[in-house]
Amino acid sequence: MSFAPQNAYGRVALIVLAVVAAAVWFLPAYYTGLLTLIGIYSLVTIGLNLFMGYAGQVSLGQAAFVGIGAYTSAVLAVYLHVTPWLGAAGGAAVAALVAYVLSFVALRLRENLLALATLALGIVINVVFNEWEFIGGSSGFKDIPGFKLGAFTFDPRAYAILSWALVAVGIWFAGNLVRSSFGRTLIAISAGELGAQALGVDAEKLKRQTFVLSAVYAGIAGAVYASYQSYIDPSSFGFLLSVNFVLMSVIGGLRSLWGAVIGAAIVVALGQILQAVVPVVLPSARGDFQQFFLGAVLIAILILLPRGLAGRVSEGGRA
Amino acid sequence: MIAQVWQYVLGGVVDGAIFALVAAGFVLIYQVTGIINFAQGEFVMVGGMTAASLAAAGMPPLGAAAVAVVVAACVGALAYLLAIRPARGATGVTLIFITLGLDVALRGLALFVWGTNPYSLPPFSAGNAVKLFGGVLPPQAMWVLGTDLLVFAALYLFFQKTYVGTAVRAAVANPPIASTFGIPLRTFAFASFVVAAAIGGIGGVVITPIPGVQYDAGLTYGLAGFVAAVLGGLESLPGALLGGFVLGIVEHVAGGLLSPGWEQGVGFLILVLVLVLRPQGLLGRAARRA
Repeated sequence: MSFAPQNAYGRVALIVLAVVAAAVWFLPAYYTGLLTLIGIYSLVTIGLNLFMGYAGQVSLGQAAFVGIGAYTSAVLAVYLHVTPWLGAAGGAAVAALVAYVLSFVALRLRENLLALATLALGIVINVVFNEWEFIGGSSGFKDIPGFKLGAFTFDPRAYAILSWALVAVGIWFAGNLVRSSFGRTLIAISAGELGAQALGVDAEKLKRQTFVLSAVYAGIAGAVYASYQSYIDPSSFGFLLSVNFVLMSVIGGLRSLWGAVIGAAIVVALGQILQAVVPVVLPSARGDFQQFFLGAVLIAILILLPRGLAGRVSEGGRA
Repeated sequence: MIAQVWQYVLGGVVDGAIFALVAAGFVLIYQVTGIINFAQGEFVMVGGMTAASLAAAGMPPLGAAAVAVVVAACVGALAYLLAIRPARGATGVTLIFITLGLDVALRGLALFVWGTNPYSLPPFSAGNAVKLFGGVLPPQAMWVLGTDLLVFAALYLFFQKTYVGTAVRAAVANPPIASTFGIPLRTFAFASFVVAAAIGGIGGVVITPIPGVQYDAGLTYGLAGFVAAVLGGLESLPGALLGGFVLGIVEHVAGGLLSPGWEQGVGFLILVLVLVLRPQGLLGRAARRA
C-alpha cells in the first residue's frame, strides 16, 4: 500500500495551493517573496526529477532552459507587447524546441559524459545570453511587464499564488504521468536501458520526451520569474543555478515529485536561516557560505538516505 | 594582426599549462576510480588561496608554497575519506552528485576561511618579461611551464618506470584480476585523490602570481580542466597535456578575435563536439567504450 492513493497528487497539491493562497495574506512581504521563489524552483525541480529521478539521467544545465523561458517571455513582452500569459507558453515552447534539438546531441551519451555534455550546453547557452545584444547582452533585460488579469496587475501576493498554482498543475500532471505506463517505462529505463530496450521500449524516444518535458517545466518557471523580477540578466541563469537545482532534486529525493518541492523549500529556507544565524557566531562569514552546508547535506543524504528526504514516504516508483 | 594572434597564442600557452595540470588530476582519478571529480578545480583554488594568504601573513614564499601543496593534498585525502569512500557501491550518477556536492561544499568552506577578498602572490622571480618572436610572456610563465614539465615527467616516470606505477596500470587495466594478485585497489583510489589534489594545489601555487585568486576561482579551472581532459580522451595523461594546451590556445585566440565572452563558450562548444564526434579524444584510439 503506497503512501498516496491513486491521483492523490492533484488533491494534495490543491490543499497546498489553498494553504499558500491563505498564507500570503498574513505573511510579511519578505516571506511571500521566498514562497514565490520556492514555487518557481519547485516547478523546475519537478521537471528535473522526471528526467533525473524517474528516467535515471542527469542534467547539469537545467538553468539554461529557465533562462530560455525567461528571455523568450521578456522579448515577446518588451518587443512585441505579447501578454506574459502567452509569453510563458512561448517560453515553454522555445525551451522545448531547444531541448529537442540538443537531445540529439546529449542523449546519445550516458552518465559521466551526459553530465559533462549538459553542463557544457548550459554554459554555451549562457554565453549566448551574454553575447547577444538583441536580448540585452551582459546588462540583461529591464522593465519586463508583469502578469495581468483584466485590469489587475499582479502584486507579490498574486505571484506567490500563481507560482504555486503552477506547481499544483505541474505535480498533478507529473503525478498522472509517473503512474501511467509512460512513467513505469521510464523507471524501467533507469533500471537498465539495455534491458528495457530488449523488452521493446524505445528508450531513446522516451528519454527525449522526458528531457523536453523537463525543459517545458523550466521554461514556464523562467517566464514567471522574468515577470516577477521584472529584470533578468545572464548571471541569473548560470552553472551555479543548475547546480542548485541538482541540490534541490537530490536533497528532496530524486524519484519523488513532492521531494522536488521539499528540496526547493529546504535549499531556499536553509540558505536564509544560515545567512541569518551563521554571521552571529562567525562575524567574518560573508557571501554564499551556506553552499558549504548545502554541499555537505547533499553528500550526507546520498550516503545515508540515497532516496532523499522524501524517500521514506515516497509515492510511486518504489522499484 | 599576426603579431596580435601570436600574443593570444602565448597567453593561451600559459593558461593551457594550468588546464593541463587540472586535466591530469581528472585523468588520474577517472582512470583509477571511474569517477569524474567535479571538485578538481577546487584543489587549485585551495593551493592558490593557502599560498597567497600565508605569504600575505609574512611567510617566506617557498615555505608558503610547500604548505599550500600539503594542504591541498590533505583536502583531497579528506574528500575521499569523508565523501567518496563511504559511498562505495554507489552508481555512476550518484558519484557525479557527490563530487558536485564536494565542489559546492569546498567553495563554501573557502568563504569561511578566506572570505570574498581576492588574494595575490608576488612572482617567484623578478625580471623582465620574456620576449619570444615579438610576443611577450610574463616571467612567471616560465615557472608555470617548468612546473608542467616536472609534473608530467614525474607522472611518466612513475607509471612507466616504477614497480608501484606498473601495479596502478594493472589495476586500471583489469581491477578484478589485479585485486586477486593482491593489488590494493582502495589504497590506489585514495592515493589518486591525494595526488590529483596535490597536482591541483601545485598548479594553484604557480599560477596565482599571474591572475590572483579568490574563493570561487576553482570553478573556472575545474570547468576548463574537464574540457582539456575530455579533449585528451579522459584516459590519457599525454592527452591531458595536449588537451590543456590546445584548449588554452583556442580559448585565447577565439576570445581575442571574437569577444572575451566567447572564450569559455568556445571551449565548451569544443567539449560538446568532442563528446559526440570523438569521445575517445584527440589522441585516443576508437572504441573502448561500448
